[in-house]
Amino acid sequence: MTKPSPFAVRGRRALMIMKDERDIAPLRRQFDRLGMSVIEAEPAQLQLPPEGVDVIVLDADSIPIKSDCALSGKINSPIIALIGTETPSRLKWLLDLQPASFLVKPLRSAGLYTALVVAFDCAQRRIEEAAHLERLEDRIRSRRIVVAAVLQLIRAHALSEEDAFTLIRQTAMRYRTTIEQLSAEIIAVGGMPNRTSRTA
Amino acid sequence: MTKPSIPLGLVFSRSGPYAMMAREMEKSALMAVDEVNHSGEFDFTFVPHLRDPGGVVAAYHTCCDNLIREEQVEHIVGCYTSASRKQVIPIVERTERLLWHPARYEGFESSDNVIYVGAAPNHTVVPLVRHMLDHIASEVFCAGSNYVWTWESNRVLREIVSSAGGRILAERLLELGDIAVDHIVNEIIDRKPPAVFNTLVGESSYAFMRALHAASRRAGLSIPVLSCSLCEPELKMIGPTASVGCIASSAYFESIEGAENRAFVTRWKARHGTDSNPSVDGQSTYVCVMLLARAIRRAGSTDVAAVRRAAANHRYDSPQGPVWVDPANNHCFLTPRLARSVQGSQFEIFWEADAPERPDPYLSDLDLASFAQPDRASETTVRRGSHLRVVK
Repeated sequence: MTKPSPFAVRGRRALMIMKDERDIAPLRRQFDRLGMSVIEAEPAQLQLPPEGVDVIVLDADSIPIKSDCALSGKINSPIIALIGTETPSRLKWLLDLQPASFLVKPLRSAGLYTALVVAFDCAQRRIEEAAHLERLEDRIRSRRIVVAAVLQLIRAHALSEEDAFTLIRQTAMRYRTTIEQLSAEIIAVGGMPNRTSRTA
Repeated sequence: MTKPSIPLGLVFSRSGPYAMMAREMEKSALMAVDEVNHSGEFDFTFVPHLRDPGGVVAAYHTCCDNLIREEQVEHIVGCYTSASRKQVIPIVERTERLLWHPARYEGFESSDNVIYVGAAPNHTVVPLVRHMLDHIASEVFCAGSNYVWTWESNRVLREIVSSAGGRILAERLLELGDIAVDHIVNEIIDRKPPAVFNTLVGESSYAFMRALHAASRRAGLSIPVLSCSLCEPELKMIGPTASVGCIASSAYFESIEGAENRAFVTRWKARHGTDSNPSVDGQSTYVCVMLLARAIRRAGSTDVAAVRRAAANHRYDSPQGPVWVDPANNHCFLTPRLARSVQGSQFEIFWEADAPERPDPYLSDLDLASFAQPDRASETTVRRGSHLRVVK
């Protein structure tokens, strides 16, 4: 699957959660120029998570800090925050939403495209990082299995720990499988499995 | 010979949720305008152009746009809330005008086109919290209106109190204008906190103070209430008994000694009636107009850049004491004060800084380590000796 380019904004969908018409109007115009479609939501009547939205533009000043904000749930779309108040209490609230990028009010025609590109790129990197993290976590979870397999071989074949692990690693390489997968099989059959049935 | 006249924009909401304070501010601005116009010290007069946004945030932009286009004003005095100021800033920045902002606010802003005459957070919340830690308690219950002033004041409070090893017992918020305060009052009576930090505004605050006073009396409790905004006209709104005993932090109280303030209060009462009282925001609005008039006189022009230069570091002996603009951030050097509310809707000042303090809108000079236990007590005593003066 090819990665979507963060520069390709045409056809993407933005959700604008904003209150002030003077900020909304220039953004609406700019989204139109970029070929993006827009849905608008009243901050007070926010229904989330939204369906099929590629980016959320959120006026940070439009939602009280201490409120049951619908945004506090899990949001997959990147958020572009519009900043008016720079007080730490407001910025802390914003940080918890993990904005992908931001624009400072008052808004102008310039800036939105950069904010979108940064947001799309950030979202893509987050997806890749999450996948990478999941792979690493899988490996950590299966450490226990690898250790159990090593112990099994130490006991069954009177090997040192180092030799037992080397044997697993080399066998895994030979059969083009992962150390974790082979370890699971070692535990299942109680020793080094007969792998003749499974070769590349 | 008639003096040349200078158009002056005044933007205050005579209706809406904070109309009471805004009317006080407008009255004070007009009083200052009259004094300038009748003074031989100024070779010009102000022509005030009043606009009333009615407490509607978006209307501030429209009002200022109209003042600039139709009345050709270069200087505007006005705004009370931060939301309204943020509406005005883009237009004064774009058109190179100057907004003279009277109200204290939570900081974290510094526009070249605003002169911030009200107190910065280092003038208000910081000395109040220091007093609370030194003399009352390190645990506090917070009650406030759900908006930026409360959020930010509570954040500063929390940071300082945590550094001192204390804690915030609870943080309860009401929507602006909400007067259903009983659940908060009941919780306070139930939990008996050693102190209450009140950042409620307007009717919410008055209802809260009355209900807390009544409930405390029934329960035989006396819980000190701390505020960064209570002023004399509000004490009157709260009532003669419920308003007594609050601790307030402010740059201005009517009871300030000193010739300038005594004369100001006399002029105020002559103009508005003997039972009328100036307030911190009103006095600050008066100071805005006076600082502007003096800067125009000094610059010999109404040009914004020239006026800004002329205002910088130019000391004015105002009712609240010496005030001058710090050109580093366009906020003012002011003298922080702490007072206790007494009978007769007045404040008794019990502490003031012995010199005007540099404004620190981003609290970048706030040294949290200086609040840390166990050395806090001895350190503050030393610091007290060097630059703080106990008034009474």
